[in-house]
Amino acid sequence: MRVARYLLRRLARAVLTLLIMIAVAFALVFPVDKNPPVGDFFSHRPPFSPKEVRAVDHLFYLHQSKVLLYLHFLGQLVRGNIGDGHQLVGTHVTNTGSLGPILFPAYGATLSILFGGAVLVVLFSLPLGAISGKRVGSWADRIISFVALVLVCTHPMMLGLILRSAGGAVKWLPTGGYCPLTGHSGITITSAGNTAMTCGGPLDWSEHLALPWLTFALLFLALYTRIVRANVAETMTEDYVRTARAKGASETRLIVRHVLPSAGLRVLTMVGMEISTAIAVSIYIETAFGINGLGRLAVQLLGTPPLDLDWAVAIVTLITLLVVVGNFVVDVLYAVLDPRAGVFARPEGTKSLLGGAF
Amino acid sequence: MAWVAQFERVREGDATPPRPIGPWRLGWRRFRRDRWGSFSLLVLCVILVLALFGAATLTRLVGHNGQTPFPYAASLTGKRPVGPWTRVAALTTPRVDEYGGPLPLPRGTKTTLLVLGADGPLGRDEAIRLFDGMRTSLEIGLLAALVAVLIALPIGTVAGYFGGRVDDVVSTLTESIMAFPLLLFLVYANRFLLNDFGALSWSWVLPAGVVGESVLIGAVTSFYPLRLVRAQLLVLRHAEFVEAARMVGASDRRIMRRHLLPHLVPTLLVWGAIAVGTNMLVEVGLSFLGLGVDPSIPTLGTLLSTVWGTIFNPNTYNSHNYTPWQTIFPMAAMVITVVCLNRFADAVRSALEPRATR
Repeated sequence: MRVARYLLRRLARAVLTLLIMIAVAFALVFPVDKNPPVGDFFSHRPPFSPKEVRAVDHLFYLHQSKVLLYLHFLGQLVRGNIGDGHQLVGTHVTNTGSLGPILFPAYGATLSILFGGAVLVVLFSLPLGAISGKRVGSWADRIISFVALVLVCTHPMMLGLILRSAGGAVKWLPTGGYCPLTGHSGITITSAGNTAMTCGGPLDWSEHLALPWLTFALLFLALYTRIVRANVAETMTEDYVRTARAKGASETRLIVRHVLPSAGLRVLTMVGMEISTAIAVSIYIETAFGINGLGRLAVQLLGTPPLDLDWAVAIVTLITLLVVVGNFVVDVLYAVLDPRAGVFARPEGTKSLLGGAF
Repeated sequence: MAWVAQFERVREGDATPPRPIGPWRLGWRRFRRDRWGSFSLLVLCVILVLALFGAATLTRLVGHNGQTPFPYAASLTGKRPVGPWTRVAALTTPRVDEYGGPLPLPRGTKTTLLVLGADGPLGRDEAIRLFDGMRTSLEIGLLAALVAVLIALPIGTVAGYFGGRVDDVVSTLTESIMAFPLLLFLVYANRFLLNDFGALSWSWVLPAGVVGESVLIGAVTSFYPLRLVRAQLLVLRHAEFVEAARMVGASDRRIMRRHLLPHLVPTLLVWGAIAVGTNMLVEVGLSFLGLGVDPSIPTLGTLLSTVWGTIFNPNTYNSHNYTPWQTIFPMAAMVITVVCLNRFADAVRSALEPRATR
């Protein structure tokens, strides 16, 4: 009951976050386009007819109430449509169909990077953090901490480019591009009679993403190793660890069965909190490895005037949705793994300082 | 146990009690004992001296500045630029015959030394540009941290001190906005809001674009100090000394300024040291995204992104124009500075707040 109420509260918070972020997106997009660049849409010289000006106004939604537009967008979202693209044909605004077919593959690519990267980070940071935290101040601890710090201080883009160059020199792995997880590799014959290589399937997918995942993991190693280290160092002095040792548990068993589970919980929280940072980092990784992901798409759209309302709001919604859903999943997992969640609510914790600003 | 004997002497009236030591002096003593922290402070001082005086000194020594193009150092015949420690003809225009073919250099042509090689197609001195870039990057890092603190202090203080409804609104808003990757805000703001600041400059001290970028980075990252300030004040506002001050009739303003502000200094100092490093990384990132400072102005970001390209046209590894020194030196400057800032911040934290857990 208590857990249910806790989860309900987190769900409400998640929805509120989503609503606020979409509102912020609307608020940011509008003032910019008060005077839409009419000249960009017509080939003839200025004076423009009222009809043409009105058409461009319609394209930028300047004729509508912003609140109604917001509600309309939310209604569409509830019905599962992320938004439609619009285009000016002559002096008519025409609907070019849902943005989904372009956005969702990019979304898939970014999700793949984040998911695999997160798994790799956990796989790396748990053992390294355990080694570090078991004897704080030892040589192993110092070396691990220092290397991790240097890696996080190397820019993700530089790290990606270096790994890509190294991968290119070694020629073990493909160094760029993306293959979807679904689909299959092979040669297809197009309608024009040409052959085209398609790639896809789990093997191609993981092969193409191995270096991006590694980049991601190396970058975040510092943050997570540090957390595991602190947690392990703290837990090692607990009574139940001493009891287990007294009962003759081996050091390995001690760490794996008694110490790491609580550190794992902490790492889980961190993964949830760092999703937005991870998305920002994935922009650089996508760029370094030439993957057409959501982050890269977002930078291209948000960085090139004139801003298209449909695209901007759709992208902001998708990214916020990812963060909010990720956070909520972590909340649920937390409530399942640690039933005290309702009592000692999940540690609020600030986002990590160094990673946060990416 | 020298202090026990001293204590006995004081108690028997043979010696005067020692003067109490202030918290700052105590912190400084603890800091000096931290070997890593002291070493990073030393390195940071060296970096600061190099950034401030390196370019001017080197200009005096070699006789050319960072803007002088040397065609003989670079792309006269489409070759890659010359490497570190090379002497090239001190001519700013190539000697060619009337058909554009290269002419041999006359005997006794003066040469000039490029300490870290040339920077690309223009053949400018990489070393001088690197020192200039370090200075600009540090300026951006420091200014942005300052802006962030200036924004965060009033809001965070009010939210944390008064709590209640004000705090609810502020913390809900910051948390919702922080759920979104802040980098994308930066991208958007850089493209659409920067026009007012873009031209602001002051000779070579503050090149054009530095102020604008600092204000943006500072505004976007101000959520972190805001949360720190708020969290600390939420605890401190119930402290005895605050109640005592209120009891003797101090106003809210006075309590905040005279009693609470000094307690925030250590926290903000530690955050500031890390933030300067993070801001430098953000600056590098913005240059990679094709935003940020104009590429003609050397910063660590523009130095690196002229080699590796930007998100819209990345340069991939190519053995023909492979110029490792253009990557290694700016990257080393970046990594060393950020690592030292982090180590320094760690040392300051453990010196000023010895009981705080990491």
